[in-house]
Amino acid sequence: MSAVVDLPPTRPASAAQRPGFLRRLFADYGQELVVLAAIIALFVVVTMVNPRFISANNLTTIFSGNAYIAVAAIGMTMVIVTGHIDVSVGALIGVLATISGTLAVAGYPVWIAWLAPVLVGMTINACIGALVAYARIPSIVVTLGALSIMRGGLISVTGGTWITNLPPDFLIAQKSVLGLPVPLVFMVVLTVLAALWMRYSAFGRSLYAIGGNAEAALATGIPVERRTVAVFVIHGAFAGLATILFATQLQVIQSTVPPNLELTVITAAVIGGVSILGGSGTVIGSTLATILFATIGSALIFVNVSAYWLRAVIGLLILATVLADMLRRRGRI
Amino acid sequence: MNWKSLLRHETFLALLLVAVLIVLSFQSDRFFTVSNLLNQGRLMTEIGLIAIAMTFVIATGGIDLSVGSILGLTAILTGVFWQKLGLPLPAAAAGAIAVGTFAGFANGAIITRFSVPPLIATLATLALYRGLAEGISQARSVRGYPDWFYVLGQGEVLGVPTQLWILAAAAIIASIILAYTRWGRTVYAIGSNEVASRFSGLSVEKTKLALYTASGFAAALAGVIFVSRVSTTRSDMGTGIELDAITAVVLGGTSIFGGRGTIAGTMIGLCLIQALKNGLSLAGVKGDGTIMLIGAVLILAILASNLFERSGTR
Amino acid sequence: MRNRVLSALLALSFSTSLSHAQSAAWTGGDELPTNPLACDATPATVAAKPYDGGSPTNAPDRKGKTLKVVDVPKLVGIGYFNATSKGIADAAKEIGTMDAKTDGPSKANIDDQITLIDNYITSGVDGILFAANDPVAIAPVLKKALAAGINVVGYDANSTPDARQWFVNQAEFNGIAKAMVDSMAKETGEDGAFAIVTSTFTTPNQARWISEMAAYQAKCHPKMKWLETVEAQEDNILSFNQTNTLLNKYGDELKGVFGMTSVATPAAADAVTQAKKCGKVAVVGLATPNAMKPYVAADCVKSVVLWNPVDLGYAAAHVLRAVADGTLAPGATSVKAGKLGDLSVINGSEILLGAPTVFSKDNINNFDF
Repeated sequence: MSAVVDLPPTRPASAAQRPGFLRRLFADYGQELVVLAAIIALFVVVTMVNPRFISANNLTTIFSGNAYIAVAAIGMTMVIVTGHIDVSVGALIGVLATISGTLAVAGYPVWIAWLAPVLVGMTINACIGALVAYARIPSIVVTLGALSIMRGGLISVTGGTWITNLPPDFLIAQKSVLGLPVPLVFMVVLTVLAALWMRYSAFGRSLYAIGGNAEAALATGIPVERRTVAVFVIHGAFAGLATILFATQLQVIQSTVPPNLELTVITAAVIGGVSILGGSGTVIGSTLATILFATIGSALIFVNVSAYWLRAVIGLLILATVLADMLRRRGRI
Repeated sequence: MNWKSLLRHETFLALLLVAVLIVLSFQSDRFFTVSNLLNQGRLMTEIGLIAIAMTFVIATGGIDLSVGSILGLTAILTGVFWQKLGLPLPAAAAGAIAVGTFAGFANGAIITRFSVPPLIATLATLALYRGLAEGISQARSVRGYPDWFYVLGQGEVLGVPTQLWILAAAAIIASIILAYTRWGRTVYAIGSNEVASRFSGLSVEKTKLALYTASGFAAALAGVIFVSRVSTTRSDMGTGIELDAITAVVLGGTSIFGGRGTIAGTMIGLCLIQALKNGLSLAGVKGDGTIMLIGAVLILAILASNLFERSGTR
Repeated sequence: MRNRVLSALLALSFSTSLSHAQSAAWTGGDELPTNPLACDATPATVAAKPYDGGSPTNAPDRKGKTLKVVDVPKLVGIGYFNATSKGIADAAKEIGTMDAKTDGPSKANIDDQITLIDNYITSGVDGILFAANDPVAIAPVLKKALAAGINVVGYDANSTPDARQWFVNQAEFNGIAKAMVDSMAKETGEDGAFAIVTSTFTTPNQARWISEMAAYQAKCHPKMKWLETVEAQEDNILSFNQTNTLLNKYGDELKGVFGMTSVATPAAADAVTQAKKCGKVAVVGLATPNAMKPYVAADCVKSVVLWNPVDLGYAAAHVLRAVADGTLAPGATSVKAGKLGDLSVINGSEILLGAPTVFSKDNINNFDF
């Protein structure tokens, strides 16, 4: 560490040619492994301090209570992999939750109340994607604008009234499948499907190509514009799915935008190994990062960190994870 | 990108600002008065200082999300140094600004030494610095500063709010540096092509380190001004200010990918946002309507200027 | 490298766990002196204080004239301030000569609130009603309003007294603290252990209540045990997760949870419901009745403490009218507030709405806000 050289920042070379399964695993999923190691370390340490940490209830709180963030981070990961960003996702989830809750209370069948946020999310993000792809406005500009519009619009329309009296059937996040809480199932299934799709489908591979070098991708015949819109639409669908979990977790829906949700989702995606420059990263990483944050949040309460210092420790842990990954890459070069 | 296309966005934006000012002064006769406009200048100083430094950072293709947290940390430290450590207030404020500047330096060091992308590094320090502010303050406010201290945030010099002089000076110095010095050209070069800049012998790492340090300094200075304006310190000061500053910078025509942008553009963008916030409120539009409109203006302004540019240069 | 991360984490966790000092004061309280009420129902004796509010400079004679009033709550978009704003609108309609509108920041942010008030001063309103996000930070802009001849009245969250004329106090801090702690003691017994879920430690009202609760508990329920206070912003999912973590951490030791905000309390009740601990873990807190109805109906929450925020807004509007008419002047001992009757003046320049209401299964359905 003392002998830091001023090397130009090199993009991690694809190490597929290197021999050995473990090395390849480490090369392909290095950041994911760092995050996983951090999660395991936390679990070991905190469980030694207070064994209740690994009680079934607490595992449910950690894995299930934050699943909506992980689901939203899947879409965010795809957007960032293609070299874009979305700072409006928190506001979008707020808008979609209000739509979903209003429909449920108005007596529509619950499947409509569940489907609506997904479809509306896809529609809104199709507009955002089109502005990014065809009008060539940088995604941060479009989504900063969309953030203001949706946040202001939500308060204008709802006047801030909460939605109560939700029908019990609607509250899917409180149910379980085969003994597992629904949010956990959503998170795992969607992560696995998205990971496989991004790794093995031609479409998924093309996202990395666009993020790595859009011009080169265009030259090899990838329809960059259409793919960009498609990625935003898929991201909208994931935001809609995240909304279903978000809106049905409690018996009331707060009609304001959850504070700082977009930062949490973006942080999960980037800490999980998505290079903000695009071209690398996996949704497994973003889901693991969400779990890491949830674990940190819970762990710090369990080990009695002074509540005043809680956020400083969270920041330090995030920074440690980032630096550990950078040192790992440095070590490989 | 040539100079002409650069100028085009700023010209367009300036025309838009003039149009907005005219429309808003017809909406309310209390809008276009000297006292109101000067007062608006007072309210936009903190975001303005941060946006000026952010223009440099974004022009290199970087970003600094930790500015709001640095602002909060500086505010807290000003109070703590003064009240708990018993330092004289000027020394306390200077010490707090020094720490804020160091926080910016730390960002720069993480980014350049460890090659961490700026977004990730400053997302992490965003949480860290805010956490330090909360931990050091123990959620207590420090109040009751001597009256002379409020001159900075609430007083006037020659009829103009004190902090507006600071903002004006910062804007002029920054424009000169960015437009006319070798250092300013290095900023654009890094933003256009970092690898090429490095190979052509420009001191990329040093420049970036200096920029993030400057960004920390700007946020710290804004923090002290903020304390003087609201006469108290709280650990949650400046939350979300990073997005306001970034909005002003990108509205001002600085490319988020780096390589282009001017201080003039940023200042016009800043004035446009402030004029809309204030003018619409005077015209009877509620806060939620105003933020919706600002969002729409942001998208449409960049869209329009993109269309002009394409028809002009292609 | 993994070892390095691991050791860093280990070191961090241990050092931080050691740094947790078991201090006398509860986390989340403020440093101001406390004044706990008597343990029985003896009312506190309050020493009369001279008027300590401010007064507008060269205010025009507004007697009987239509007032243009703006109401600036801490933030818009939460049930509580919807209710106060409804009360203000009701009163304005009833008074007839008042034109009131509500406009607040979309985040509980001191800077946005200050900017909004500043704009309304420029636009030339006759009266400002406010609920301060920070008592000191808001003072300069309120003084500016007074200097511009505007009538300024606060409600819900005070500013420094000289920056406004009157403040409508919903219930005194020590009164709320007594109602909360007594309710909790009734449900968990005198030796129960409890935890607190609050918004942020920097929110002045919450910090004040927590301090008063600590003082009152030490005085009147010395065997009850405070475990810890957690922050949950104004975010209901986070409040839910934090409550769950507390339930998991303390297991059967935890007998009660205090919710300090109208966002935290329903979320805490939901966490207890979903953990199937209704009846084992009491939830007592400040909340609006509508959000709490499902939990009260299911017998999971026995008592919800709150003043009626609609009445609070209603009273604030009447006070503003009275100030503008000159019928409420420094030195007055009471003020007429429409259907609420006479409200008394306390602490020099505050108007007391009354004792906090404790909502229970019997009466909660009579309220709609």
